[in-house]
Amino acid sequence: MPAEPYGLIATFETAADIYHAAEQVRDAGYKRWDCITPCPVHGLDKAMGVKRSIVPRISLAGGLTGFCTGMSMIWWMNSYDYPLTVGGKPLFSPMFAFPISYELTILFTAFATIGGMFIVNRLPMHYHAVLKYEHIRRGLDDRFFVVIEARDPKFNLAATRALLEQAGGLAVTELEA
Amino acid sequence: MSTPAATAPAALPLASSAPVTGKALSIGLAGLAVTAVGLLISSPSQVALSYLVGITYWTAIAIGTLLLILIHHITDASWSVVIRRQWEHWLASFKWLALLFLPLVLATLLYQKDVVWPWMNPAHVMHGHGTVETDILYQKKASFLNLPMFLGMTASFFAIWCWLSARLRQASFTQDTDGNPQWTQMNRKTSAFGIPLTALALSFAAIYWVKSLEYHWFSTMYGVWFFANCIRGALAVGVLIMLWLWKRGDYKGILNTNHLHSIGQLCFAFTVFWAYVTFSQYFLIWNANVPEETFWYNLRELNHDGSISQWKYVGFVILFGHFFVPFLYLLSYKHKVVHSKIKPIVIWILSIILIDLCYNILPALKDEHGDAQPFLSLNLLWVLSSVVGIGGICVWAYLKSFPTTKLIPIRDPRIEECITHHE
Repeated sequence: MPAEPYGLIATFETAADIYHAAEQVRDAGYKRWDCITPCPVHGLDKAMGVKRSIVPRISLAGGLTGFCTGMSMIWWMNSYDYPLTVGGKPLFSPMFAFPISYELTILFTAFATIGGMFIVNRLPMHYHAVLKYEHIRRGLDDRFFVVIEARDPKFNLAATRALLEQAGGLAVTELEA
Repeated sequence: MSTPAATAPAALPLASSAPVTGKALSIGLAGLAVTAVGLLISSPSQVALSYLVGITYWTAIAIGTLLLILIHHITDASWSVVIRRQWEHWLASFKWLALLFLPLVLATLLYQKDVVWPWMNPAHVMHGHGTVETDILYQKKASFLNLPMFLGMTASFFAIWCWLSARLRQASFTQDTDGNPQWTQMNRKTSAFGIPLTALALSFAAIYWVKSLEYHWFSTMYGVWFFANCIRGALAVGVLIMLWLWKRGDYKGILNTNHLHSIGQLCFAFTVFWAYVTFSQYFLIWNANVPEETFWYNLRELNHDGSISQWKYVGFVILFGHFFVPFLYLLSYKHKVVHSKIKPIVIWILSIILIDLCYNILPALKDEHGDAQPFLSLNLLWVLSSVVGIGGICVWAYLKSFPTTKLIPIRDPRIEECITHHE
């Protein structure tokens, strides 16, 4: 096994166990760690101390870009580059530019949301160290795991292992990077 | 569907009554009295149309409440079970609203036929058009716009709303005692036919009560516009009730952040919906530029001499206040879930709905040149007194119904799911 492992993985048998373990890991001040659960555990994000995602901000930026794109595109085309009077209407009015701007707001918001979600989650990710763990498939079925990464500033092989065991973690194992 | 929630504490006492119940009634009666005094100061039409704003406003909120309950049942929603009970209490206001609509009908029948709706008097003189009787646009619509139709339709609107309310309330309240999931099934069936009935009734109500004030005009969006305001009003009232019951301590341990987040999201969604509908109506009329349609907006923008009408600024207040402000404000998660942050915006929405109704109703009052009477006038006082008056009666009806049942539907099959609601 290489000198520096990816991190430590601990197994829990119930949602309640992992919930309380997550609270202890959070209170111990760890930042680079995660929970793997076969089902959503309500309130786990709070127990882990996870803040709300920044994706909504990226969505907002996308939406504003879309709205401005729609408005400026129609102004540029109808009023500036090739001025054309249609139906006796002004060369530019936010009225007729609005439907397009509205559609582009939605489109760009959707792009920004999906793109933002991928970036924030660092997707696509074809390899992850936990995939080498022999029991990881049970994380899709009936087991809960806590993984603490070695690059966490607070990580210390012995102390972290002790913390996980004290939190009720079973089969605390080193993960190969 | 799961078994009845037999584990819920059946011993939960009835909700404790609020000491302000009597005060609400007094405020309501005082408001109505002030409106009546208005008859000595302003013309009967001015007071009657101001009163129409008030009755439409509170009826809209009651309709929204009814629709939210119906939608709750048809979608088998779980998050809204606790607030649904408060909406059910709010439905108690319908019979009073029906009663409070009567003065307008009686004034029309006994005092002056065109006191509110000009088309009810065949001899009513249109500005520069001759009389209603000789108006081709009226003749073509006469089979729809006539007094018996109006009276029959208005009676059936209230009959439909009161009947559906009574069914929903009875089923839900009875379930508290026997815990039978049959009641939930029954309410789902009520919703299946109740939604189209309510939707038709509210659309026709908007057409008869409000749109027909300018019967030359047409807009296919009108019922939908009214629907959007109904739902926005009911959601805002729902939020205020939630905050009130939380502050009083009743909702401690029942309500969590996610309930507010969910209702806040609906407030946000219907802000967008209202804007979509209202913009569509304006945009189509603006684009088609047909005089029979544009006059409705012209009346709200310019006077006959080309000067700018006050209603133009009211229109801008509605554009920004009814859409941009709540839209941008409610984008934030915090503004939906922090009690002190969501409270001002729902009060704001409730106020702008009132201004929106004023914008739709009051310009029917014309001065001698055929221009709309200004927004800032004594009429506004009668609008406020009517809103306070009818609102006081509605709040009183709610508070009177409130202590007659348990605080939450404790034996609703979805109650546990609701109390542990998670986003």
